[in-house]
Amino acid sequence: MTNKFSRHILSAAVTTILLGLGSVAQAAEDTIKIALAGPTTGPVAQYGDMQMMGAKMAVEQINAKGGVNGKKLEAVVMDDACEPKQAVAVANQIVNQKIKFVIGHLCSGSTQPASKLYEDEGIFMITPAATNPAITQQKYKMVFRTIGTDDQQGPTAGKYIAGTVKPKKLAVIHDKQQYGEGIAKEVDKTVKAAGITPVLFEGINKGQTDFSALITKMKKDGVDFVYYGGYHPELGLLLRQSREQGFDAKYMGPEGVGNKDISAIAGPASEGLLVTLPADFSADPANADLVKAFKAKNEDPTGPFVMPAYAGVQIIADAIKATKTEDAVKIADYVRKNSFQTPIGKVAFKDNGDLKEFEFVIFNWHADATKTPVK
Amino acid sequence: MSGFSFLEFIQQIINGLTLGSIYALIAIGYTMVYGIIGMINFAHGEIYMIGAYVGLMVITGLGLFGVHSITAILLVTLAISILVTGSYGWTVERLAYRPLRGSPRLVPLISAIGVSIFLQNYVQIGQGARDVSMQPVLTGGWRFGPADGFQVYVSYMQVLIAVITVAFMGGLTLFIGRSRMGRACRACSEDRGMANLLGIDTDRVIALTFVLGAALAAVAGVLVSMYYGLVNPFIGFIAGLKAFTAAVLGGIGSIPGAMLGGIVLGLAESFASAYLQTEYKDVVAFSLLILVLLVRPTGLLGRPDVEKV
Repeated sequence: MTNKFSRHILSAAVTTILLGLGSVAQAAEDTIKIALAGPTTGPVAQYGDMQMMGAKMAVEQINAKGGVNGKKLEAVVMDDACEPKQAVAVANQIVNQKIKFVIGHLCSGSTQPASKLYEDEGIFMITPAATNPAITQQKYKMVFRTIGTDDQQGPTAGKYIAGTVKPKKLAVIHDKQQYGEGIAKEVDKTVKAAGITPVLFEGINKGQTDFSALITKMKKDGVDFVYYGGYHPELGLLLRQSREQGFDAKYMGPEGVGNKDISAIAGPASEGLLVTLPADFSADPANADLVKAFKAKNEDPTGPFVMPAYAGVQIIADAIKATKTEDAVKIADYVRKNSFQTPIGKVAFKDNGDLKEFEFVIFNWHADATKTPVK
Repeated sequence: MSGFSFLEFIQQIINGLTLGSIYALIAIGYTMVYGIIGMINFAHGEIYMIGAYVGLMVITGLGLFGVHSITAILLVTLAISILVTGSYGWTVERLAYRPLRGSPRLVPLISAIGVSIFLQNYVQIGQGARDVSMQPVLTGGWRFGPADGFQVYVSYMQVLIAVITVAFMGGLTLFIGRSRMGRACRACSEDRGMANLLGIDTDRVIALTFVLGAALAAVAGVLVSMYYGLVNPFIGFIAGLKAFTAAVLGGIGSIPGAMLGGIVLGLAESFASAYLQTEYKDVVAFSLLILVLLVRPTGLLGRPDVEKV
């Protein structure tokens, strides 16, 4: 009797599980999932916030207008902590969950390995932040970005240094990461072409806290301008310790340092830092309503990756609408051939997935974490 | 580059000594535990990280209460951080080492690594994984040298770090050398079984060792948060690795060795940055370690009879 009874229970359980699976599968088809892959923890999580904030706003606003082809978008946040290894794990998760669209990753170092999986698995990826040129040099079909590249950003900085600053002795420092070293090399190349040879080109360690020896060396060599390729935690300490040692060279960095935290770390030493950033899209009158929507949620739309992330989601939504398919490969094709009106302006893509046009602007950073355009 | 400058050389020595003092303070925690139970406490880097967090919180808190006297800030912060961090040290010993006292040596090693991972994630969940920063409390310093040329700069903070390091190390040496408890420590380090037979409560001595090591790590943590002003849950790993290297370099198990090892490591990094390339500072530091161990397998001041894990 017990045997028979347990068999009943078993079959009931199996049925429940099967039914359960069925309903899960059905639920998945009701929404179009978009993975937001980037750091929500770790030392550069601030940038991840900008990306998530922009992308989520786009998802919300598109859903409020009725979604895409009758379906709602669903954002799935995945944390890669800006670690290449974790980024691959995240990419595998995305593959396993059969998500077809990705906004991310944020750091170039984690975007590069993840992009290979997306290409192989036919997943459509737009990064709103990774600027290393190598990412689109792989000639992938599925990989796009709504931000400029370091071979645009580096020359912008390099030309400004060589043409306007004209330092007597220039030092170029980087953090030996794909992003930081990549952009430092671009700057190095540009200033050399203009006839300025840096007196020093060196790498520091990610996570290093003591820069006193390096600062002493630059001070002795009479360096009066420093370009730093990397992120804000290291530059913050570098600025602070430079001021402490009485080394008063001017510093400049890429968009990876343009973050409120640089002022929290460096305090008054962050005054006068030069930063290349995407133009401040939130100042564009065309985006006034969007900026209001962010402010209503008490969010800050001025971060460099907020609008590019918003644009990424919008491009996906527009492409799905226009092609009436969720086939990521067809969508990649469509995106490559058409142009889109987004908060970062009218965008169109080159064959390799880069934007046809993108402008970096040089800003003067202030100790109270605000910025004003130079010129 | 533009030649050798004596003043720059002096400045690099000062830079190296400051860095080395911090390494030395952390290194003592490794060396003391090794000297007494012959095992490496892999959770020590995390203990230091907790010390730095407590230091940063207390200093920020005191600032909110309007305490600005540097002596008061220093004393209160050191006291609270030593207390909190010391109890973490005690807990690590109680949970990860004491229950495994009789087991093979690898077992407590693994449990210590477990504690290290636990503490890192625990702080990450409690405090967030981001950098926490603070503006310097003590600024300013002395400048020496020609007004128009290269000036040697010694900040008050660097002097403070050196003074506090020397004071705590002197205190520790006196404690180990003169006090009853210190004698018990030395007895345990010589022969734990025999010390036990003679009526020394070895469990208590071992617990004390962990607490003392943690207290010095707390001092290092407070100094680091005052000097650099940037703390995150991951700083323990690199600092722990460097301090462990310093302890091995000086001769693990030897307290003066840990001090010397820390200073040598700090100077090596500083000079490598100054006269080679900054990229090479770790290469130089670890090559030095390998060289020293090739010539003197027990480290600079290690006793030849110490057995290795």
